Amino acid sequence: MPIGADLVLHEEPDPENARNDGAALGRVIEQTARRWNTPLAIPLMDLRLEKIDLLARIGISARDAETHHFTSPLDESTLSALCGEHATPFCLGSIARDQALNYIAAIPDLFPIGMAIGPFSLATRLKADPIAGTALAGRGTAPEDSADVLLLLQCLRAAESAVLRSVRSQITHGARAIMICEPAACTAFISPRQLRAGSKIFEQLVMEPNLRLKAALDAAGCDLIFHDCGELIDPMVEAFATRLHPVILSLGSSRKLWLDARLVPADVVLYGNLPTKSFYSDGAMPVEEVVRRATELLANMKACAHPHILGSECDVLNVPEARPAILKKVDAMMAVTATSD
Amino acid sequence: MAQSKDLYDAILNGDAKKARATTEAALAAGVPPMELIQESMVSAMDEVGRLFEAEEYFVPELLLSARAMKSSLDLLKPLLSASGQKMSARVVIGTVKGDLHDIGKNIVASMLEGGGFEVIDLGTDVSPESFVAAVKERNPQFVCMSALLTVTMPSMKTTIDALKTAGLRTQVKVLVGGAPVTTQYAKEIGADGFSENANGAVSLVKNLLAGEAA
Repeated sequence: MPIGADLVLHEEPDPENARNDGAALGRVIEQTARRWNTPLAIPLMDLRLEKIDLLARIGISARDAETHHFTSPLDESTLSALCGEHATPFCLGSIARDQALNYIAAIPDLFPIGMAIGPFSLATRLKADPIAGTALAGRGTAPEDSADVLLLLQCLRAAESAVLRSVRSQITHGARAIMICEPAACTAFISPRQLRAGSKIFEQLVMEPNLRLKAALDAAGCDLIFHDCGELIDPMVEAFATRLHPVILSLGSSRKLWLDARLVPADVVLYGNLPTKSFYSDGAMPVEEVVRRATELLANMKACAHPHILGSECDVLNVPEARPAILKKVDAMMAVTATSD
Repeated sequence: MAQSKDLYDAILNGDAKKARATTEAALAAGVPPMELIQESMVSAMDEVGRLFEAEEYFVPELLLSARAMKSSLDLLKPLLSASGQKMSARVVIGTVKGDLHDIGKNIVASMLEGGGFEVIDLGTDVSPESFVAAVKERNPQFVCMSALLTVTMPSMKTTIDALKTAGLRTQVKVLVGGAPVTTQYAKEIGADGFSENANGAVSLVKNLLAGEAA
C-alpha cells in the first residue's frame, strides 16, 4: 500500500477545506485504506502541524509559523514558554487530525494510526540554518562556544515537548500506533565522517529524544512506526530498528530493504520503498520500471524471509499535472503485490 | 604564500574564524583580494567538491567549508566592488514559487560563491515574475532554480516560459535542481542543465561557461 492519503484528499471537491475538517479527513483516510485494501489507516502526512502548535505558544500565527525561524539563542522566558506544559489551542489541522482519529477508531476493521514529525526533524525546521549547528556540534563545539549549537539544542528541547504533546493528544483520540517521521535524521544533516571520528551527535540529537518518545508510547500501550526517507548509513538503520524497535520501519528508496533485513530484528516489519518521488515523470520512472522494481523487491524480500509491506518511500503527493501518471504507477505497484500473493 | 595556504586550509577544514583571521592577515600583508579568491578560495572549494564526490565529505562538511569561505569573502567583496573587479559570472538563484525549502539552495549559493561566481539569492517562494525582474535588472549569465516538492516543480517550467515571454530566455542558462528533479524533467521543461548536488551545480556552471568561451 502507498502512503496515499494526499492522492485521495485531492479527489475532494475542496481539498484544503477537507484538510481542516475532521469528519471529511476521517473519510479520506478511510477511503485511502479501502482503496488499497489495507487495515492500516495511515493519516495524511502533514509535518507542519507540530511547528504551528509549538510557535502558537509564543504568539506566532499559523500563517506565519511556516516561515518563522529562530536565528539566535532563545531567552529563558521564550524557551520556558515553548517547553512548558500550558496548553494553547491546537491549530485547525491538528484538531482535524485528532477528529479523524476518532472517526477511524470507531471503524472496527481499520487500525487507527497517528503521525507526528520527529523531534530532531522539527528542531531543524525551527532554526534558520539547521545544518550548521548540527555540523558544529558534530565536530565537538560546545553550546557555550557557539550560538548555533546552543540554539539547536534549545530547539530540540522545544521540539521534543511539542511532539510529545501531539502524540499524547492523538493517543487520547484513539491512535493505536504513531508514525514518527524523521526525514532530517540522515546524512544531509549528520555527517558519517563525523560519526566515524567518534561524534555522538546521532545519539544525542536523534536517538535520545526518540528513545524518550518510544518510552512514552510504550507506557501508553501505543505502537511505534518509524519513518525516515533520507539518505542513511547502516548504523543509523540498525539503531532505528534495534533500539527504537518499531513495529514497522519505513525507509526511503536509497536503501535496499533486502540488505537492510540483516540489520533489522525479525519482528520489525520493513515498509516501502519504491521511488514514488519520481512517479510524476514517465521519463524518469516509466511504469515498466515501477513493475520491475516492485517485482525485484518482493522477490528479494521473500528470499530473505523478512516481513515486508510493499509501499512508497514517503507520502505520494498529488501533482495535478501528473496525477494520471502517478496513479497509473501506484496501481501498477499494487498489481504486482496482488500477483505475488 | 603562507597566508594563501592558511586560508586554503581554513576553508578546507570548515574553520570560519580562522578563515576570517587569515584573510585579515593576508589583506594586511598586501595580498590582492582576487589572488586570495583564485589561489585559496576557489582551489579550496574545488578540493571540498572533490572530497564530496569521493564521499569523504558530506553535506555538513560542505556547509562548514562554505561558511568559512563566506566569512572570508565578506571581507573581500567591498574591496572588489571598490576596485571595480568582477567575479567570473553572475548567477541568480532561488527556490520556486510555493516552495519554502532553502537548505539545498543555500548550499548551492555558497558553493557557487566559493567557485568565484557572483550570486544573487532571491530567497524562497520566488515567483516567475521575480525571476524575470532579476534577470532584467542584474543581467546574470545563469538562473538556478530549486524545488524540493513534486507539487512545486511545475513552477520551474512556468518560470522558463515567463523568461521566453519576456524575451530573456536566450540571455541566460537555466539550471534546475532539488530532490524530486531529474535530468529527464529538466529536458522536458527546457532547462539547460540539472545537477543533483551543489558540487555538481558548480561544475555545470563552469562547464557551460567554458563552452561559451570556446
